[in-house]
Amino acid sequence: MAIADAAQELYSAGPIAQPRRFRMLRALIRKKLAVIAIVYLLVFYSGGIFAPLVAPYNPNRQELTVEARRQGPSAEHIFGTDALGRDLFSRVLYAARTTILFTLVVILTGGLVLGLGLGLLAGYRGGWVDTAIMRTGEVLGGLPTLILMLAITAAFRGRINDLSFWLEDHTWLGSDAKTLVKFTIIVGAATPFAWIGSSRIVRGQALSIRESSFVTAAEAMGASTWRIVSRHILPGVMPLFIVGLSASMAGIAGSEVALSYLGLGIDPPGSSFGNLIGDAGFVRTFEQYPHLLLVSSLPVIFFFYAWNLLGDALVDLFEPRTHTQR
Amino acid sequence: MASGLFGYTVRRLLWAVPVIFIISVAVFYMLRLAPGDPVDAILQKNYQEEQAALLRKKYGYDEPIHVQYYKYMKNLAQGDLGISTRHRDFTASEVILPKVWVSSQIGFMALLIIFSLGIPVGVYAALARGTFLDPLTISSWLALDAIPVFVMIPVVQWLFALKLGIVGLGYEGVWSSHMVLPVLVLSLPGVAGVARLMRASVVGVLNEDYVRTARAKGLRERTVIITHITRNAMLPMVTVIGLSLPGIAAGSLFVEQLFGIPGIGQESLAAALAPDFDVILALVLFGSFLFVMANVVIDVVYSMIDPRIRVGAARGG
Repeated sequence: MAIADAAQELYSAGPIAQPRRFRMLRALIRKKLAVIAIVYLLVFYSGGIFAPLVAPYNPNRQELTVEARRQGPSAEHIFGTDALGRDLFSRVLYAARTTILFTLVVILTGGLVLGLGLGLLAGYRGGWVDTAIMRTGEVLGGLPTLILMLAITAAFRGRINDLSFWLEDHTWLGSDAKTLVKFTIIVGAATPFAWIGSSRIVRGQALSIRESSFVTAAEAMGASTWRIVSRHILPGVMPLFIVGLSASMAGIAGSEVALSYLGLGIDPPGSSFGNLIGDAGFVRTFEQYPHLLLVSSLPVIFFFYAWNLLGDALVDLFEPRTHTQR
Repeated sequence: MASGLFGYTVRRLLWAVPVIFIISVAVFYMLRLAPGDPVDAILQKNYQEEQAALLRKKYGYDEPIHVQYYKYMKNLAQGDLGISTRHRDFTASEVILPKVWVSSQIGFMALLIIFSLGIPVGVYAALARGTFLDPLTISSWLALDAIPVFVMIPVVQWLFALKLGIVGLGYEGVWSSHMVLPVLVLSLPGVAGVARLMRASVVGVLNEDYVRTARAKGLRERTVIITHITRNAMLPMVTVIGLSLPGIAAGSLFVEQLFGIPGIGQESLAAALAPDFDVILALVLFGSFLFVMANVVIDVVYSMIDPRIRVGAARGG
């Protein structure tokens, strides 16, 4: 074991004496766009996580008088109000919450469990297991994913009413039951397609680490497969896995927004950027009340963009081949 | 050579078959197990018992689900994709096929625009690497990628149709000026992806011996960039066509819905919302089949123009 640990230290030390992690962080901070992206994401995440504390109004409180509806931005309602007089800033905060929760769950299921698990399995086992996993991912990745997701949600939404009524009556969920069930359906629809990219990255890394001498040493000393994978391969795989995740965040979040926009995801009164945009996103509505579309779409557009920029910057750092080579 | 290529193609196809089979079974089970009698949905309330019996016999609605699947596949082999519950006098294939044609023409135009913009942008960024122009170029196209099409559409409709009055809205056939906006909206988000991969590909080619040779023998920089760098870097871009297809399919859903184009995207959305189970099923199977075939064709074309790939595959790569 001591030899294996020493070997691993040699592997990770590299040419520069500083710990690898901090070197990466410092290189990342040197990229201005990435820093702006990180700052925005911090704001977005804290707004979403602390929505109940930050939101000035109840996001579902309606005010149906003519003056209260579709107000432009003002001191009381900094994002204005929607067609039912609800405060848009509060709704946007809760929509951010939906986005955060959805991406978190899909990354746990599709990314961490399926992506990392299948990637490690394929990379470490090799052979037909590898071929089967990778080729399946290849075929799945080439399919019209959104249409498949539509089919899955359509099949289940017809059956959810009974389930959500039952949950409403028999559990503590109460009126949240409906949203929870719909949330589960879209998670179930997105997960089968969320593992492909990350498993490919993990497999590639696992393949190359498997060949390194510290793994051979560990094998020679009779370490169990579980120990080799978790102690020797996993730490080497993690950095690139995280890079892959950050690059796929926008896509995952986007699938929820798209499904909710189409009326197949989170419905009102539940708040999602998809249904906020859906309420505002027609040319005539935009002509008369442009703020409705702008305030409900810009926060999430910046969210997508920030993740894309961050992912791009990270990929650049980990694959210096593509930018420093002269 | 021919046999290696043939084997490669066959292997690719053989992998697609079980995956499509599993997808078809999964989707079929999910859709057919939904509550409600499909015969009621198809015939509405007033029907003769004989009609119902005929339908039940043909599609096996009253039989166990695996028998239904078998009958569905048997009908599928004869070109019968089932019956639409929304367009009642039509079968699912009659509903779908004309729309597939509309959508594929639009998708093809979008594909052309994505590549004819993405490739020069990628070459430009790669040649500008090391300066601020490289990240600026890529990140500004990435910004377009971050805007969901269903946000972009109302804005461009308002700007170009209502405010400036340059183009008209409303569907007037695929080959009319009204299609400019939809096709552009469909293609612009995809450019960043192609540009990024093209950039990486160009950077990979820049240090090749033949580029150095071309420069050393005094060719003009323009010639080196166009004939030596770009042409070689474009080879792997063939496979990117396959990567762009799902994005176009997803975009067409919203573009067709919001521009009122009678295509497959609009149909899938309507079918999913109704829900019109046989049409959804047909769309999923047809779409999966089409996309897998497209990827196989792309792989074969790629291995024809770049034999190194084929050799790698023959070695079991």
